[in-house]
Amino acid sequence: MTATPESPTPKSAPQPAPAAETRPVRSAVVIGGNRIPFARAHGAYAGASNQDMLTAALDGLVARFGLQDERIGEVAAGAVLKHSRDFNLTREAVLGSALSPETPVYDLQQACATGLETVIGLANKIKLGQIDSAIAGGVDSTSDAPIAVSEGLRSVLLELGRARSPKQKLAALARLRPKDLAPEAPSTAEPRTGLSMGEHQALTTAAWKITREAQDELALASHANLAAAYGRGFFDDLITPYRGLVKDGNLRPDTSLEKLAKLQPVFGKTLGEEATMTAGNSTPLTDGASAVLLGSEDFARRNDLPMLARVVDAEAAAVDFVHGKEGLLMAPAYAVPRLLERNGLRLSDFDFVEIHEAFAGTVLCHLAAWESEEFCRNKLGLDSPLGSVDRARLNVTGSSLAAGHPFAATGGRIVATVAKLLHEQAAAEGRRGRGLVSVCAAGGQGVAAILEAC
Amino acid sequence: MNAHPEAGPASRREEVRLPELPSVSRLLVHAATTAARERLSGTSRPAALPAVRHTVDSVRVELERLTRFQHLVGGTVRDSLPSAFLHTVTFPVAMSVLTRADFPLPLPGLVQLANHVRQYRAVHFAEPLTLSAWVENLRGHYAGTRLDVRTEVLADGEAVWQGTSEYLAKGVFRPGLDTGARPAREDFTPPAPTARWRLGVDAGREYAMVSGDFNPIHLSTVSARLLGMKRSIAHGMYLASRVLAGIEAVAGDEHEWNIRFAAPVYLPAALALRIEDESRNEHWVASSFTAWGEHSRRLHFSGSVRTL
Repeated sequence: MTATPESPTPKSAPQPAPAAETRPVRSAVVIGGNRIPFARAHGAYAGASNQDMLTAALDGLVARFGLQDERIGEVAAGAVLKHSRDFNLTREAVLGSALSPETPVYDLQQACATGLETVIGLANKIKLGQIDSAIAGGVDSTSDAPIAVSEGLRSVLLELGRARSPKQKLAALARLRPKDLAPEAPSTAEPRTGLSMGEHQALTTAAWKITREAQDELALASHANLAAAYGRGFFDDLITPYRGLVKDGNLRPDTSLEKLAKLQPVFGKTLGEEATMTAGNSTPLTDGASAVLLGSEDFARRNDLPMLARVVDAEAAAVDFVHGKEGLLMAPAYAVPRLLERNGLRLSDFDFVEIHEAFAGTVLCHLAAWESEEFCRNKLGLDSPLGSVDRARLNVTGSSLAAGHPFAATGGRIVATVAKLLHEQAAAEGRRGRGLVSVCAAGGQGVAAILEAC
Repeated sequence: MNAHPEAGPASRREEVRLPELPSVSRLLVHAATTAARERLSGTSRPAALPAVRHTVDSVRVELERLTRFQHLVGGTVRDSLPSAFLHTVTFPVAMSVLTRADFPLPLPGLVQLANHVRQYRAVHFAEPLTLSAWVENLRGHYAGTRLDVRTEVLADGEAVWQGTSEYLAKGVFRPGLDTGARPAREDFTPPAPTARWRLGVDAGREYAMVSGDFNPIHLSTVSARLLGMKRSIAHGMYLASRVLAGIEAVAGDEHEWNIRFAAPVYLPAALALRIEDESRNEHWVASSFTAWGEHSRRLHFSGSVRTL
């Protein structure tokens, strides 16, 4: 239906809307966020499904911003551990929520970067004027993880379905072996290497010579910062209690370096070098969900909603980890420099730096890489090191080591946190600060984003 | 592409055309009964390798077996044949040479020491293949007697794949063959791993199903013990196939690879591996690999894949 120069336009017809190519790019802002407290696996949310938890996070957001029966431009969310019946997980959650059932939805999956990627994708649609409002989110449950039948049983069942004669059916069944009846739980092992994420990180941690003490200190800071943030009520408008949980179940406000030092290493025990990664400086398996409300500035003003921060730009990266060329979780170390380069920024230009704490070692390896002249020259092609991150600006309200990490829910937790931190700072100091978000993901991927106070 | 330096002076060999692919299990039974009969009657085997070349024409790959092979070794189900799969395709022809009455070494107890394979182009599963096998290079080894089993795959009259498997007949010494001194065992310090394999006790049985190599030393603890092993061991070619499946994405179809086995992998097993890529001008040229016992830290095999 686009008008071509040849097609005559009657003079009385209304002016058509500007074509998509000529529409100016506008801002996408974070209005607010909501999550349920993250629970340790097989704890408070053991009976809740991904759909239940995502619906709870959405309903909390709806209640907070008065979105009952609102038709949102688009909702995108996802889960990393997902049952095949949940192919429309987010749509089902929206249908079960207080949002208008006429809200369109899509599911997204990018391992642990799922939540951040939903924010980026939806923010881009808002910037292009395709939608005016959006909810980004994610959820994961390790307590209610899908359990699959073994490959042997699956192949027999499929063969049985294809069989036509009783003889063919018997032949299919005859292939069944007792061990085929054992179920298969999802594993965190990388399919191409057979190494778990923790073992991969242990290799990277050892390669960068990150000490046990440095990792324990980062873990301690995460718990202390998260506890302090709860203490000052920072999460009051970011969290809705669920199933009796009001705070993240993994938070240990009273932990100490001495307690952390007592824990036995759990990853990297066969490396030959000293194993440094423990349950204390590694993120536990957790259940939880998060949601972030995004909109155009016009949408926020029209609905009298706050504008916390603009989603400025984002970059994804992937590394070749399969034969050990780079560490599995090091992709953000490449995404961030590219993102900074494009935006003409340095690490010191950020007031808040959020690096997802998959493991304390992951964060410390990133920091070490950006300070390394060799890495920055040989791997990033830079003349000088990217620089240091001021620890006073790093994960200032705690991160995944203390809060937990329900894979797809982490991006939403971090974006809502940084947006609120930037807004607080802008209100207190009257300046537009910047926040950097970095999330590593399975498969050697990583996503980074820049937010700026409104 | 017609004359490969390794094709050998086939003209001096007697050409034996087999009507069809022989059954490996029948050949194995035949070899076992021959060995038993020889022990009873005291007949001895000839001193030289038979100057024959066994060939089977118009062999077609069974698609379902190919799919199962590709899945079992962790490869992608593609229409082209993995070079390690082509080894299993030629295996019955090689076995038909090794089980001949005039083959000088007893088949039970032959140990695979190394493999070298060159593949010159992609081979589609539907191509009719001509498979040949012969033996050569009988020579001494500090632990017995060695030989090379050569196999070749032709498509459209052109050699597309060539393999050399080095076997050792342990404890069999032939007069006139220089055994040489046992080399000092090289120290092995495991490097940082890039992968881990957990091999179940049934890894040997599963590979036998897709490769047709039903040697009892691979099938179960009981059958392996009957042949004097403490437990069953993984097929060398399973280990090779699996490591190659992890490299096939970068290596493409025209490449050569070699593997040398240092110690048998008793099942079940936890192996650690390091696979390292080598590139020139940002293009892959080779990958080298090493595998060792995750806990024993003992070297099991090593090798490389290289572009031709």
